[in-house]
Amino acid sequence: MSEAGTLADLGLGRTAIVGDLAFGEADRVRVMEMGFIPGAPVSCQRVVPMGDLAVYQVDGALIAIRRETAEQIGILSSADERAASAKRD
Amino acid sequence: MKEQPVPSATEVRLPDRQSGGVRTVAICGPPNVGKSTFFNRLTGLRQKVANYPGITVEKRIGTFELAGGETVDLIDLPGIVGLHPRSEDERICMDVLLGAREGIPRPSAVILLLDSTNLQGHLRLVPGILGFGIPTLVVLNMSDDLQARGGSVDADALATRIGVPVVAASARLGKGMERVVSFLEGTLAQPKRVELPVLNSIPAERQWASGAALHAGYHAPEPSLWGRRLDRVFLHPILGPLIFLAVVVAVFQCIFTLAVPLMDGVEAAVAVSGGWLGTLLPDSVLKGLLLEGVWGGVGAVVVFLPQILILFLFVGVLEDSGYLARAAVIADRSMRAVGLEGRSFIPLLSSYACAVPAVMAARTVENPRDRLATLFVAPLTTCSARLPVYALLIAAFIPERPVLGPLVGTRATVLLGLYAAGFAAACGTAWLLKSTILKSKPAPFMLQLPPYRWPTARSLSFRLLDRAKIFLRRAGTVILVTTIVLWVLASIPYQGGEPPAIGDSVAGSIGRFLEPAVEPLGLDWKVAIGLITSLAAREVIVGTLGTIYEMEADESSPELQAALQAELSFGAAIGLLMYFAFAMQCMSTVAIVRRETGGWQWPALQFAYMLALAYGSAFVAYRFLG
Ligand SMILES: Nc1nc2c(ncn2[C@@H]2O[C@H](COP(=O)(O)OP(=O)(O)OP(=O)(O)O)[C@@H](O)[C@H]2O)c(=O)[nH]1
Repeated sequence: MSEAGTLADLGLGRTAIVGDLAFGEADRVRVMEMGFIPGAPVSCQRVVPMGDLAVYQVDGALIAIRRETAEQIGILSSADERAASAKRD
Repeated sequence: MKEQPVPSATEVRLPDRQSGGVRTVAICGPPNVGKSTFFNRLTGLRQKVANYPGITVEKRIGTFELAGGETVDLIDLPGIVGLHPRSEDERICMDVLLGAREGIPRPSAVILLLDSTNLQGHLRLVPGILGFGIPTLVVLNMSDDLQARGGSVDADALATRIGVPVVAASARLGKGMERVVSFLEGTLAQPKRVELPVLNSIPAERQWASGAALHAGYHAPEPSLWGRRLDRVFLHPILGPLIFLAVVVAVFQCIFTLAVPLMDGVEAAVAVSGGWLGTLLPDSVLKGLLLEGVWGGVGAVVVFLPQILILFLFVGVLEDSGYLARAAVIADRSMRAVGLEGRSFIPLLSSYACAVPAVMAARTVENPRDRLATLFVAPLTTCSARLPVYALLIAAFIPERPVLGPLVGTRATVLLGLYAAGFAAACGTAWLLKSTILKSKPAPFMLQLPPYRWPTARSLSFRLLDRAKIFLRRAGTVILVTTIVLWVLASIPYQGGEPPAIGDSVAGSIGRFLEPAVEPLGLDWKVAIGLITSLAAREVIVGTLGTIYEMEADESSPELQAALQAELSFGAAIGLLMYFAFAMQCMSTVAIVRRETGGWQWPALQFAYMLALAYGSAFVAYRFLG
């Protein structure tokens, strides 16, 4: 797996793996309780441009988060994605 | 894993608290798994809602009758997302399970409700909840939805894995409930006990959950295609906000049009029954108190019930269908501009009908500071109790002239202006609070979007009943007391066996005493009495002024309008309108804010702030318009 920036960079329809969580302890727990646990697959379902929000599918749930929060969630590119991009090359 | 002898089915009875004592069973689980639906299924109407003392979390307790006639108390605990209590909700859940919450016996059994369509995520809670050492039943709810979307789970395999009984159920359809009842009766077969690991981090919990789900042969359901399609529309960059606006306008329209005939009906019913009561009662002092004080006072509140129920019907449909969360996503941008978040829009919308339900609805706002800011500004938006006052003053002082073509005249413009003033004050105040005393560190904003579902009539009617009870009880008691007190003050001291003229009564003296305070606004002692009586509820001033001027009290009464024109200058009338736009002339709201914030500081600050705003703008209006 390779570092691929933050959740905010994840394009619509793309999948990645949750990486580092750059939060204080309390917020970190809260974020994990919503399903953003390091190692969990996450995909970007919708971008709401007007609202600066995006909707992600993670651990069986749909979660809307603000962009500034998404910027604090690191992602790793997932195996499928790498396979898919290898095929494209 | 330690193995223990298998108790036979008949041996496994819930531990009775003392002989003949009531047994308490706690229902817990994550938010949105159908706890309320499940609870309502079991208890029906035998339930009551109260608050945990001192805090705002609702305590819902119901009774369930076992076959033998014994009863079980069921407590619906607030939703939990983890066992690391940080929110008030989670702390309560933990406290109750520990038996550390005053007034609630430690439950003798727990029903852990999980959503079977998202089992892996939810199984995470199992080891922690079982760790409390209370006999537990795990219910995998929404099994109908799981099946419909091609998922499956083996409840018995899961039971073997975790060592407590597991039942797949659908609270909505009532499937699987008979096995829940057997659990309550102590006749449900128990699997062999299993020692579960103690997990102390979320990733560890989650990993354990994956293993358990695998063991139970769990097949996650296909994501709903319809859900995706609907989200594509409701969260569309252009369509989304348009639909949101259309929904808001439709709710408004219904609150103000659909509710009118119903409100008229209630009003007529109160009047007719009052008249009928009048013929039954012998003439006495008490008759006046009963008819004008009690019947009229309570009637004035009950009139708002249809409107509030219609509002909650809408909120219920929006919430149960899953749209409300999408609407909060759409509203987030504008709410953020004044320092609030998407979820604040629900209470603010509600407050156009009445601030009381709005303040209650502020519970959906998760961050405590945002929640306080929301319920602080909600009473500034124009609730419907202001309308009778606005109608009277506008009709008396604003001559009707066309402004924008023949349809929009001066009167409509003034009314719209008052709505705009309230809205602007709410936004400005929210911004002010959020940049000063309620400033909060930016916390991650996350909102779960539940799957779309058809709302059921059953769940909607339970909600309405609940809200109606709370509204009538809370608002009714305050209004009742205030009206009785005012009625007494206006009827004493007796002179020669007759009630005094209003000016000579205690209420009149109070009015005169307050006159210097309202003089700078161009108002006199009569209006001062009205300002005091309308503290009970704004529209009461119409009736009070009617009594004082000895006119028929009705907002469209020409005599009352003429009397007002003779007494007040134009500037004073506009000032009075501004006063009513901003002042917290509503004891029910004060009471509900006190209840929701658990103390007097917030309602006191809110009252003072709104009074200052009201007085200041009325003063300015009178100075400039004369
Ligand atoms: N398909 C299906 N839907 C259900 C079932 N049980 C509840 N629901 C629906 O799920 C939604 C949420 O149900 P509630 O009972 O309000 O859930 P809750 O856990 O009390 O939610 P909170 O009060 O928000 O914690 C409602 O729309 C219910 O109609 C079920 O067994 N099957």
